Amino acid sequence: MIDMVKFVKVIPIASKVGTVTIRYPYDKPLVTESFRGAIEIDPAKCVGCGACTRICPPKALTLVQEGNTLILRYFVGRCIFCGMCADVCPEKAITITKEFELATDQIHDLYTDVEHELVECERCGTKFVAKKLLDKVKSIVEVLPEDRAKLCPNCRRLETLSRAATPR
Amino acid sequence: MEIQSVEGFSKRDLEKALQRLKKSIWVFHLNTGSCNGCDIEILDVLTPWFDVERFGIKLVASPRHADVVLLTGPITVKALPRIAKALRAVPRPRLVLAIGSCAVGGNIWFESYATMGGLYNVLDMLQESGITIDKIVYIPGCPARPEAIIYGVAVLLGLVKPKSHYRKVKA
Repeated sequence: MIDMVKFVKVIPIASKVGTVTIRYPYDKPLVTESFRGAIEIDPAKCVGCGACTRICPPKALTLVQEGNTLILRYFVGRCIFCGMCADVCPEKAITITKEFELATDQIHDLYTDVEHELVECERCGTKFVAKKLLDKVKSIVEVLPEDRAKLCPNCRRLETLSRAATPR
Repeated sequence: MEIQSVEGFSKRDLEKALQRLKKSIWVFHLNTGSCNGCDIEILDVLTPWFDVERFGIKLVASPRHADVVLLTGPITVKALPRIAKALRAVPRPRLVLAIGSCAVGGNIWFESYATMGGLYNVLDMLQESGITIDKIVYIPGCPARPEAIIYGVAVLLGLVKPKSHYRKVKA
């Protein structure tokens, strides 16, 4: 008999606690200060160095070369929201937003592309570096060999070697 | 009585079926090699704190009773035949919620020899073996937040328009 009415004990506890259910679509969800959501790349600040693509554990950020453009592609469907790209970005172009309502029925909606212009090698014509990155390096480095700045790494190596080999 | 399988399922039939599916969807939870993070979040959604039964969403034990399959995990090679078996048992319209980074894009295992790298990569394979999936909603997140899962269900039922869309910007 006592076992049968055991559940009655719960009633005063439940009435004390009241309703705990949050009304999600109407209430604001609990998002704390340290919450990390999807990242956002500022195209004005990004130079296309690719530091974020090297640190990204699931390779959600990738550098893809398509014709004359270098594309920094962010696939949020693979992102693990670790925020390491924001830490490593030298230009502080990546910010962590608090966005988490990312659900969609088309997988291509989850991609974000940042297009960069490429610089062509003066000798062999290979496209090797983003224009913004070259300008950035030019503005930082004081003694820059101007004549070799627009050569691709391979041509630059050959040029330097040939200069060293030929007697003055 | 002879049981006929429905092969020809036209777009109009699908729209009709989706119209009927506005409330009280029954979900079946399918783990395909997940780390259990997303599974715990699904469990969270079903607790009184988030209480999806106020929307009529109910967890069922058999795929034959389910309207929606909650798929978590990067689909390991070992799990693939079982997934095909489970999805085949789901009646049309076959709706799938791919929950978490693993189910959407394979997460850090997308290049591994042991996984298929997400649901998107096996869709053609499933289609070839006669399993048509009528609608998929991808929910990114590692793990996906309970709110994100509820939002994904709303997107699936067409109650809200998805916020994220493809963006292409010039630097």
